[in-house]
Amino acid sequence: MSEITRMVVVLSLIAGVCSAALTSANYLLEPYVNKQTDFFVRGPALERLFGKPAEEVLGNKVVVADENGEVPIFFMKDGDTVSRLAVETIGPGSYGGNLVIMVGIDLVDAKLTGMEAVSHSETPGLGARIEEDAFRRQWRGLPIDQPVAITTDGGVIDAISGASTTSRAAAAGTNVVLDFVRDKEDEIIKQIQAL
Amino acid sequence: MANTYIDTLTAGLWKRIPPFRLVLGLCPALAVTMSAENGLGMGLATAFVVTLSNGAISALRNVIPSKVRIAAYIVIIATLVSIVEILMKAFFFQLSQQLGIYIPLIVVNCIVLGRAEGFAAKNPPLLSMIDGFSIGIGYALSLTLVGSLREIFGAGTWFGIAVLPASFEPMTFLVSAPGAFVTLGILLAVQNLFSRWRGEKFIQG
Repeated sequence: MSEITRMVVVLSLIAGVCSAALTSANYLLEPYVNKQTDFFVRGPALERLFGKPAEEVLGNKVVVADENGEVPIFFMKDGDTVSRLAVETIGPGSYGGNLVIMVGIDLVDAKLTGMEAVSHSETPGLGARIEEDAFRRQWRGLPIDQPVAITTDGGVIDAISGASTTSRAAAAGTNVVLDFVRDKEDEIIKQIQAL
Repeated sequence: MANTYIDTLTAGLWKRIPPFRLVLGLCPALAVTMSAENGLGMGLATAFVVTLSNGAISALRNVIPSKVRIAAYIVIIATLVSIVEILMKAFFFQLSQQLGIYIPLIVVNCIVLGRAEGFAAKNPPLLSMIDGFSIGIGYALSLTLVGSLREIFGAGTWFGIAVLPASFEPMTFLVSAPGAFVTLGILLAVQNLFSRWRGEKFIQG
């Protein structure tokens, strides 16, 4: 066998075996990684929206199909009735990357319980201030039958200064969730009760 | 014969301890040692990679054509590092968030490639794995030492537990980047002074 062929064959074989090892590691460990990601990434947001430790609410999850894909929904029950939902969505039109937000809805009082940024890649110091409570707390107690908007668009949310795009994306994401819940409420409740 | 194994096993703990004797792998030693926990985590991840990569490379040392050996080493090392990264995400999520980019960067850590080229390519698999293990544990100990010093004097805690009285004013300078250079420099100087006092010859590699 010529030297060149040998080099090619050996390198390809090594690369092949390595890819196989990586694939199987990834495949076998994926459930654990997802669990940890849920706990550390979504956990803190859920804790604030539901006021309960993340361990208790992370299991309360249903996935409802939507024309844009699958929407993860977390819920909390009060006796037999579903009292609160937390719906995850991607805020449309954010500044950098996907702005993943979670919107909390109190079905009993028909009010929002809050908006949380789950993961984002907004500009540090500007859009990244979406994590701050001063901005997020404006969502608490808003009625769910009206769309949310920032003040320059005629709404009640004070935008983060210097980051109107991010603020607008958060408001738009909330409206996506509100529309979604309004349309699919029966389906969501049915799925939760069927668990 | 047994002596070779014991010599190799202990070499990483003093004679070749990285990064003090084997002045390699300084980037993580400076960048992630803000706390003892980070240092230990980084050190153990490197130990895992260098042990297995030494074993794998040594087992394949007669198969790999010498012209493409570096490429082959890197593929093997990169695979092991990715597996470590997935393992950390699955079981030590917070640590993996703190170490961030430095875990994937183990691939280009000179210690790993240095031991592959300098030891595993010339020695049988078992001995190479012992060498990797000893160097890796030495590295983990050094990083924990650097991390401990910086954490104790820079934040007043050790592995997150408060060890110094509240009246102690932490030298926050030590937990920022320049503190890493100062700590490592002092440790290197102490180590060299001690070696000179014992009349040891400086061993490279």
